[in-house]
Amino acid sequence: MSLALSTLLFEWRRYMAAVMALALSGLLVLAMTGVFIGIGKGFTAQIERSNADIMVLRPGATSLISGPSGVPRRFIPLVYNHAEVVEVQPLDGAGGSFQSVKDVDPTASQADRARQGAPRQQFVSARIIDTAPGSVTIPTDYSQALVDALRQPYTVAVDETALKTLGVKLGDKALYNGQTVTVIAVTRGYPNMMQPTIIMSRDTLRMLGQADTGPRVGPLMVKIKDPSRAAIVAAQLNAAGNGQWQAWTRQELADANAGAMFEEGILVIIIGGCVVLGTIIGVAITWQTLRGAIMANIKEFASLRALGVGMGSLRRIVMELSFWVGLVGVGAAIFLTWLVQMLAMANAVIIALPPSLLIVVGGGLVVIAMLSGLLSMGVLKNSQPADLLR
Amino acid sequence: MNATKTHGKHGDFAIEAKGLVKRFKSGKSFIEVLKNVDFDARHGDLTMVMGPSGSGKSTLIAALSGLLRPEEGRVDALDVDNLWKMSSGKIDKFRLDHCGFIFQGFNLFPALSALQQVEIVLKFQGLSKSQARKQARISLEEVGLGHRLNQRPAILSGGEKQRVAIARALAKNPKILFADEPTSALDGENGQLVIQLLRRAATQHGAAVICVTHDPRLEAWADRVIKIEDGIIISDERRIPDPNAALAHH
Repeated sequence: MSLALSTLLFEWRRYMAAVMALALSGLLVLAMTGVFIGIGKGFTAQIERSNADIMVLRPGATSLISGPSGVPRRFIPLVYNHAEVVEVQPLDGAGGSFQSVKDVDPTASQADRARQGAPRQQFVSARIIDTAPGSVTIPTDYSQALVDALRQPYTVAVDETALKTLGVKLGDKALYNGQTVTVIAVTRGYPNMMQPTIIMSRDTLRMLGQADTGPRVGPLMVKIKDPSRAAIVAAQLNAAGNGQWQAWTRQELADANAGAMFEEGILVIIIGGCVVLGTIIGVAITWQTLRGAIMANIKEFASLRALGVGMGSLRRIVMELSFWVGLVGVGAAIFLTWLVQMLAMANAVIIALPPSLLIVVGGGLVVIAMLSGLLSMGVLKNSQPADLLR
Repeated sequence: MNATKTHGKHGDFAIEAKGLVKRFKSGKSFIEVLKNVDFDARHGDLTMVMGPSGSGKSTLIAALSGLLRPEEGRVDALDVDNLWKMSSGKIDKFRLDHCGFIFQGFNLFPALSALQQVEIVLKFQGLSKSQARKQARISLEEVGLGHRLNQRPAILSGGEKQRVAIARALAKNPKILFADEPTSALDGENGQLVIQLLRRAATQHGAAVICVTHDPRLEAWADRVIKIEDGIIISDERRIPDPNAALAHH
């Protein structure tokens, strides 16, 4: 084992401050970025978990989130023209006001009513599924019982994370855009982070008067015979469409959706700010810790110098040490973020940690540690063997 | 390489210095610590440099070993003409190849075992891992620490630590060995062990051992005693060492 690694392991308390600084810098960036990716995933979870292999969007759409994505209704039969296409359904959805029903005296003062938990209007977004068995719009983790329940008119499903916000529980009646609906199911694993979402059947949405019945519909969800051929079929659809539409595989669209979150200026500012702050704090603390740790061993370094070990070799030891500190910091950052992720999950907040994010942030932390190592190299010039002679 | 190799012929010059002058700045004036000192040391000799605190004895070995550049004078060591003409990198290399150092403090890395302390220097010298390990083991056994190979400094006694430091200096088989007050942090028994090891480095390995001390009792082991005061060598006498001398308890 090298001197650097042995020293880090043996004197780990001395290096703890640096490791923690790196871990917290990493946590800051990972958690912030992860939350935003999580919010994006929350918006699109229903689509990403559907069994649509291909999505057909309007040409020029860059993702499902940003930009117009709907298409003319006549595209549905055109897409069916492809021999491998099994089912095509337009994505539909709407938004409206949602209000729980509770018996509170309407003549009481505003304050009294608030105290009694009087229902308040919430704006919700509504998503739909088709209740025909095996339909392309049904997320793969929906149970048959849930689909059967939603097949009844004027029923909705709510995720458990939205129950409190909406003030309803399973079986409650509520008002959606002034019409009575029944909360017939509660889902789990579809956290609502920004705006609560309610799920209903396409038929219920139509009866509520909000379905797309005109010549334009939402993006098309397409199921094909062999999902493994999605990329090929998407390319063939694009060729057949002749530029009228753009077909994406589900994975392409999921990636584009995650990316689209970061086209929002404010997110870039927030995450950029976290990165800058994390870097400054990480470098400052790691630098000072390494400096102190090197100073603590300066006599030993000086004795190596006396024995003829060159300055270059000592610098390499310091760089190796900072590399290991960085690596331990990455481990600690991932561990802390994982803890925070668990905590967030328990409170219905998704912190998504794609491997690419972990690699980028981990690499960044190692760079921060090495940078601190470079900065702290200056103290090595104190390793004057002549000082050891009295 | 093995631990009992000898260098040069006993009696050959290992190091020769002429006209060394070293000044230190003190406030606005300069203090001359070495005043035109001539010095030499031979292979196989244990040369003792003695003098009171501030006499310049430590500065002398710093200048001899390439650690502290003198203002004037030259140092010829082994086959190098004028050490101080070389670049600092070359001086480091010279020390790495030929010099050992023992300090009053032991300066051992707290994280490394005795074996690793010795190995690390050998690895910098370019030995392979297995060679370094083998050589370090031999060296530690030679100083009587064969049973303490895997102990860290924290659980070694002062004498054992100094012996690890000596093993570290001797493992690379130096032609010149510098020791600065090697016994002053040790009790009589351990001091005696240490001075005997230095004696052996000179006699058996043919190293030129230059030992700075202010402890007059060490004189018994020396081939040559040089006394220095206020930066001037005031006496230089050869004597017959007594290898069986005993160092009284402090």
